Amino acid sequence: MRRPLIHRSPIPGLGISAGITLTLLSLVVLLPIGALLLNGALAGPDRLWTEVNTPRIWASLWLSFRLSFLAAAFNLVFGVALAWVLGRYRFPGRRLIDAAVDLPFALPTAVAGIALTALYAPNGAFGALARDLGFKIAYTQTGIFIALIFVGLPFVVRTVQPVIDEIEREVEEASATLGATRLHTIRHVILPMLAPAALTGFALALARAVGEYGSVIFIAGNLPMQTEIAPLLIVIKLEEFNYEGATAIGIAMLVISFVMLFVINGVQVWSRRRIGYV
Amino acid sequence: MHIEIDEISKSFGTTAALTPVSLAIPSGALVALLGPSGSGKTTLLRILGGLEFPTSGRVIFDGVDATGLSVQDRRAGFVFQSYALFRHMTVFDNIAYGLNARPRASRPTRAEISRRVTKLLELIQLPDIGARYPSQLSGGQRQRVALARALAIEPRMLLLDEPFGALDAKVRKELRQGLRDIHDTTGLTTVFVTHDQDEAMELADLVVVMSGSTTGGKIEQIGKPQDIRAKPATPFVKEFISACDFV
Amino acid sequence: MSEITPTTFRPASEDSPAFRIALTVTVLAVLVLLLFAPLIAVFYEALRKGWVEAVTSLAEPEALAAIRLTLTVAAIAVPLNAIFGVAAAWFITKYDFRGKAFLITLIDLPFSVSPVAVGLCVVLTFGANTWIGASLVEAGYPIVFALPGIVLATMIVTFPFVARELIPVMIEQGRAEEEAALTLGASGWRTFLTVTLPNIRWALLYGVLLCNARAMGEFGAVAVVSGKIRGQTATMPITIEMLYNEYMSVAAFALAAVLAFLAFLTLGLKTFLEIRHADALAASRRH
Repeated sequence: MRRPLIHRSPIPGLGISAGITLTLLSLVVLLPIGALLLNGALAGPDRLWTEVNTPRIWASLWLSFRLSFLAAAFNLVFGVALAWVLGRYRFPGRRLIDAAVDLPFALPTAVAGIALTALYAPNGAFGALARDLGFKIAYTQTGIFIALIFVGLPFVVRTVQPVIDEIEREVEEASATLGATRLHTIRHVILPMLAPAALTGFALALARAVGEYGSVIFIAGNLPMQTEIAPLLIVIKLEEFNYEGATAIGIAMLVISFVMLFVINGVQVWSRRRIGYV
Repeated sequence: MHIEIDEISKSFGTTAALTPVSLAIPSGALVALLGPSGSGKTTLLRILGGLEFPTSGRVIFDGVDATGLSVQDRRAGFVFQSYALFRHMTVFDNIAYGLNARPRASRPTRAEISRRVTKLLELIQLPDIGARYPSQLSGGQRQRVALARALAIEPRMLLLDEPFGALDAKVRKELRQGLRDIHDTTGLTTVFVTHDQDEAMELADLVVVMSGSTTGGKIEQIGKPQDIRAKPATPFVKEFISACDFV
Repeated sequence: MSEITPTTFRPASEDSPAFRIALTVTVLAVLVLLLFAPLIAVFYEALRKGWVEAVTSLAEPEALAAIRLTLTVAAIAVPLNAIFGVAAAWFITKYDFRGKAFLITLIDLPFSVSPVAVGLCVVLTFGANTWIGASLVEAGYPIVFALPGIVLATMIVTFPFVARELIPVMIEQGRAEEEAALTLGASGWRTFLTVTLPNIRWALLYGVLLCNARAMGEFGAVAVVSGKIRGQTATMPITIEMLYNEYMSVAAFALAAVLAFLAFLTLGLKTFLEIRHADALAASRRH
C-alpha cells in the first residue's frame, strides 16, 4: 500500500501551518530562484554557454573556487585546532574566545571587509609590516584569501566542538595502555573521529566562501583576470543590464552550490553508515 | 608476573579514594577486586595500569618498582568497562592497534601482525568478524574484541574493569567461562574489578573484598572464595556477601 | 626508563604541556590577527579624529536615513521570518507527511546560495524588465530599487534561521505535551500559546537574534536590489560602502562601529542564552 501523502493527526493547525509554510516558501524562495532558472531556460544552454565561456568569467570562477577551497582548507586545520584548545584546555578568557568565534556570523560582511582592508592595506597596521618585508596583502589574492578565512572561520569549530565533547576519555586511555604515544593517539584515534564533522564544516565554509561578496570586494582590488571574484561579475553584468550574462554566472554558481550540498549530505550519510555517528 | 601493592593511597583533591592498601598478587593468579561503588577498586586497578598516579605508596612488578613507569611502557592489557573500542576502525585494526603503534624498529611486519590478529580472533572464538566495525557487534562480541586487543600487545598482566558490567545475564555467564579459559591458556596474572560477588566467587582464585568510607576505600579481606564465604573477616564482608546472596 | 614523579605524571588523556602551550599560542595568534584586530580597527578608524567627528558623521541626514531604513527592513523581515519559522517547525514536527526531508532542504536552500545570486533572483523576478515588475511599476509599486525589494532580498537570505533553530528543539520535545493539552480540552491556539511557546521561547529568541543580526548586516543581496539611492534605498552596510569608496573614512567606520556594536550585543545575548538556557537550546546545539 502506498503511504498516504499526510497522516491524519489529532493536533490542530495543519491548515494554517502548512499554508504559511508553503506560501512563504513559494513566494520568498521558490519564485525568485525559479525566475533565475526560467531566465536561463529561456535564454537556452547555447546562449548561457557563450556568456560564461569567456576568459574573464572562467578566471573569476577559478579564482573564487581555488581561493575558497584554500581558505576552507586553512579553516579545516585551524578550526580543529581551535575546537581542541577550547574543548580540552583551561585558560583565562576561554569563554570569551569561545563566544568571539561566532563574530564572523554576527559582524556584517561590509564591516568586516573595510576593517580587514584598513588593517592589511599597505598603509594599515599589518599591511605596512608586510610592505616592509617586501610583499603586499590587500588588493592581491592573498587579501581575498584572508577575507575568506574570516567569513568561514566559525564553521569547522562549531561542527567539531560537540564531537570533541563526546569523545570518551577511556578511548584515549585505551590507546595509551596499548603503548601508543600521545601523538600517535591524536593522529590515529582522535583526528579520525573528528574527520566526518570537520569535513562537514569544511564543506559549509567552502560554500559560504564561494558566494561571499561583502567582505571580499573591499580588500580584493577587483582587477579583471587577477582579483575579480565570481559574485562581483554578476554585479558588473547587472550594472551593464546584461541580464543573460548575470543569469549565466548565477546559474553556474547555483549548480556548483548544489553539488556541494550534495557532497555535504554524502559525507554525513557515509560517516553515519560506516561509524554509526556523525 | 608477580604484583605487589605497597601501602598505596590515593586522593582526588580533598576527596580520599583509597586509604593506604597493601596486597600481593602471585604470578599467574586470577584475582577479583570485589566491593560496592566508592570502595576504590577501580582506582586501584587504574593505578596498576598506570592511568592514575598514587598519592603515596609503591607498585612493584616482579620485584622492580614500577610506580613511575608510564602507562605506555607498563604493558598492562587493560579492558575498560565501556570497552573503549575505536569505532572508526575495523575489529582487525582495533586488535592490531597496539602492534602498529610500536616504533618502527620493534614493529612486527604486516604479515606477522595479520597472523597474530587472526590467532587472537580464533582465541576469542570470533574468527570471521575482522572486517566489521564495533557498531556492528553485539555487547558480548565487543567485550571479547576488547580482550583480544589488550592481549595483542603481549601484556605482562591483564586488568579488567567490570568486564561483564554492560552485558545481560545470559551472555555474562558464557563470557565468565571465556575469561577463565583465556586466563588458563595465557597464564597471565589477571585482575578484574566487580561488584557482583557471584562473579568474583565463581571466577577468581583470590578475592579481595573492599569497602568504602569517607576516609577512602580499604581492603576488608583477602582470601580464596570458599574461605571468605566460610569465614568472613569483618561484619562488612559478612553483610556484603549475605546481601548479595538474595540478588 | 625514566622515573616519573607525581608532579610530572600526566593522565593518559592529556596533552603534554609543551604541545598544549604551543597549540594555544598559535591558535590565539591567528585569532588576534584575523578576528580581534579587525574589530579593534573598526573602532580605531572611527575614532581616529576624535569622538566629535565620529558622532557628527552619524548625525548626517544620509547616515540617519540609512539607520532608519535598516531598522525598517529588519522590523518587517525578521517578524515575517519568525512567523514562517514557527509555522514551518510546527508543520514539520507535528505531522507525518511525504517529502518532509525535501521540504527541509528547500528551507535551507538560501544558505547555500550566494547573496549576490539572491539579489539577482529578485531582480529577475520583479525587475522593471520583467512583466510582474513592469506592471507593478505601472501601478506605482516598484519592488526593485525600493523598500519591498530590499525587504524581500533580506528575507531570502535570512529565511532559514528561525526554522533551523526550532525544528531540532521541537523534534526533541515530541508531541506528547500538546496531545495532553488537547485531551484536556484546550483549543489549538491555547495549546500553542500555553504549552508549545513556553517550551520553545528561548530557541525562538535565539533564532530571531541570529536572523536579526544577519538582516541588519546583509550586504551582497541588498547591494544588487537597492539601486543605492542616497537617503532612500541605501541601508547601513550600503552607506558604509559608499562612504568608504568616497574616502570618507571616519564616517564609514563610525557607521561600521554602530553595526559592530550591534554584533557585540548579539554575541553577548547569544552567549547568555547558551549559558542560561542550555537545556532549552540543547537539541539544536548538538548539530
